[in-house]
Amino acid sequence: MARWALISGLRGDLEVYEAIQEELRQTRRVDTLFVLGDVIGPARNCDALLSRLQQPRRGELQPQCLFGWWEDQLLAERGYRGGRRADALRLSQGETAVDALLQAVDPGHMGWLAELQFGFIELDCALLHASSATVEDSLGPDSSPLLLLDRLTRMEVNRLFTARSGQQFSIELTGGGIESQVRDLEGQRHQQQSVPKRQVIGIGAGVNYTIYDPGTDRFDFLTAGSRSQERARGFA
Amino acid sequence: MAHAVISCLHANHAALEAVLADIDQQGIDTITCLGDLVGYGPQPNEVVELIRQRAIPTCQGCWDEDIIEGLNACDCSYPSQLAERRGHLAHQWTAEQLSEENKAFLASLPMSLRRDRLLFVHGSPNSQHEYLLPNMDAFAALERVETAGADTLFCGHTHHPYVRELRDGSIRVRVQEGVASGGPSVEREINLPVRRIINAGSVGEPRHGNTNATYVVHDEATDSVEIREVTYDVERTCRAIVESGLPAIFAWRLRHGFEYAERADDASHVCER
Amino acid sequence: MSQTLLISGPPGCGKTSWILNRLQNHRGPCGYLRLAGYPDEGLAQAPDGGIDLAYLQDQCPRLLDLTDLDQALAPRPEHLLALIELPQFQSPAESGLGGVDRRVIPQLEALHLRPDEHLHFGRDTALPRQDTLDFSSLQAWQRNLAGSVWDPASLSSFWFELVNGAYGDVYRAKALMNLPDGRAFFCNWMVSQEGSQFLPLQTIAPPDCRPERLSRLVVQGKDLDPGAIERTLADCLLSEALPHPSPAA
Repeated sequence: MARWALISGLRGDLEVYEAIQEELRQTRRVDTLFVLGDVIGPARNCDALLSRLQQPRRGELQPQCLFGWWEDQLLAERGYRGGRRADALRLSQGETAVDALLQAVDPGHMGWLAELQFGFIELDCALLHASSATVEDSLGPDSSPLLLLDRLTRMEVNRLFTARSGQQFSIELTGGGIESQVRDLEGQRHQQQSVPKRQVIGIGAGVNYTIYDPGTDRFDFLTAGSRSQERARGFA
Repeated sequence: MAHAVISCLHANHAALEAVLADIDQQGIDTITCLGDLVGYGPQPNEVVELIRQRAIPTCQGCWDEDIIEGLNACDCSYPSQLAERRGHLAHQWTAEQLSEENKAFLASLPMSLRRDRLLFVHGSPNSQHEYLLPNMDAFAALERVETAGADTLFCGHTHHPYVRELRDGSIRVRVQEGVASGGPSVEREINLPVRRIINAGSVGEPRHGNTNATYVVHDEATDSVEIREVTYDVERTCRAIVESGLPAIFAWRLRHGFEYAERADDASHVCER
Repeated sequence: MSQTLLISGPPGCGKTSWILNRLQNHRGPCGYLRLAGYPDEGLAQAPDGGIDLAYLQDQCPRLLDLTDLDQALAPRPEHLLALIELPQFQSPAESGLGGVDRRVIPQLEALHLRPDEHLHFGRDTALPRQDTLDFSSLQAWQRNLAGSVWDPASLSSFWFELVNGAYGDVYRAKALMNLPDGRAFFCNWMVSQEGSQFLPLQTIAPPDCRPERLSRLVVQGKDLDPGAIERTLADCLLSEALPHPSPAA
């Protein structure tokens, strides 16, 4: 079985995208490229990258894209989210950032952006920009394990790949449990539940990306353009 | 001090009167209402006015929200086309009947109420449409209470009264950070707090196997919870359903202890709209 | 040796189930005929509308239709088991073949059928004992559902309401219902037995068009409210655009 490459947070940076594509071309056995959102951002013009994602060059992997937080803000501001506007962006970074985001993307790309999905389910893995709760949910190595378990449970998957925090990390749930007692009009019931063996993987952002091999359940955290590539072992 | 929590009145005036009488008889004067004052039942104005007259603190239910904002729930909240059509019919009828003043009252209701470490919501802290069923994943249930910063969460929406205590929880994790920190994997274990979910059941549309109205009484001094069942004049409400021009099947379902529309199959579904 | 059996009994006593069992256990060729029956005093026979034959033919694909005159005139195959179903409320006055309702004889003769044996539910011990109810008046109501497709969850709610008395005191309900995925179900309920049968037909219709096969609902009971049934049906049947997309999709 071939491997997946998972990238995110390009924020309009075509050079980084090309560098990753080049590495993937050289790295054998990667057959699927998932782009977990944030292909746009306010810092630079994103049109060239958006065009490339929609029309890959020969020899490049065809990207499978999701919308991320930045796409969601733009779509909201452009009226694609009902009455909602880019309020979260406005609140956190001000009107200037909203204007910059509008300037960074040619309206001609809005149709393509509006078609992007919230997440992919592949095998027993969920591939999301953030989490099953919202596109804003930033999961990281310091996130509450209870919260992580909830997010995994909602998707009914064993592995959740997330990008929102921008960090590369793996959190495996390895054990534990909980007691639950329910009393209702029929009586009282007691239940013991164990923590399922599940995992949340942060894939990184920008030059930092992740390769995952679903056949062996191994993943590698990589940095485009860096020779020192750390390897992390997944569980067998 | 004991306080009573009621929910899901669904425009059933006879049931609300009986429950309030039962509460009064116990000398309890603190009552909290978890919403769904209207919907399906025949007396929306009477029920809203009784809650207003008694000045009962109330949070907004999904029906209260839908009546003032137009149908807001997505189709997935209905388990079948039949339930959806009946729900829409009940919605339209209720919207026509409710006075502007009562609509304004429903619009003014908060999504949640908090007293110290007690949190009161209609569905879940995430959404008025989310069902916290008694058998839902225990970790997910605990997460709802914990993330909301409460010790005890009072909810309704399922029409099934229950008390659920979650305790002796722990989660072990192995954390590995990537290129940036480069360190080895770290194992840690966290102990989860004891938390409780109390579902108040339903005053006006029981779904627990008989026709009695249900609500809960929480005694803060002993921290005990009693699920109370109250008989009421079901036929009075059934007659009012038929006389008001609502579908007669609603009266049949109420008379037999069946809810008007079964809940959606996917209990964890959160309406995104 | 061929055998021709006449099976009679009140509605809901289990005639068709018993017949299906006999057909499935017979190694040779089988034939089936359902007679309409005769209204008794105040008791309407529910027109079956072909539901039983359609269901049995689905379960026994080589079942001969004994109403077919060509087959009636053709030489009978060897070892033919011919089963004739007759709805009949009252127990016959006489036992054995002497108890056969005289009115059916000309019909059977026209089809060249001569029963070797007559069994009546509630009279003959060769048949399973059923709790046959004592009823004094019975209405029958039916609805042709040809081309209709049900929302599956709505069908489940409607059937629950129907057999639990929401539309009158239902004594017997049976139907062939189409689902959006091309399957069809034989739905069967009788007051004397616990629970409903929902039996899938073996033949699947193409899911991309309206099914053309027989589909019908037949209800017997008292104080039936056909208007209310019709209103609920209208809310349960899917409009155009098949297959119906699931909201979760």
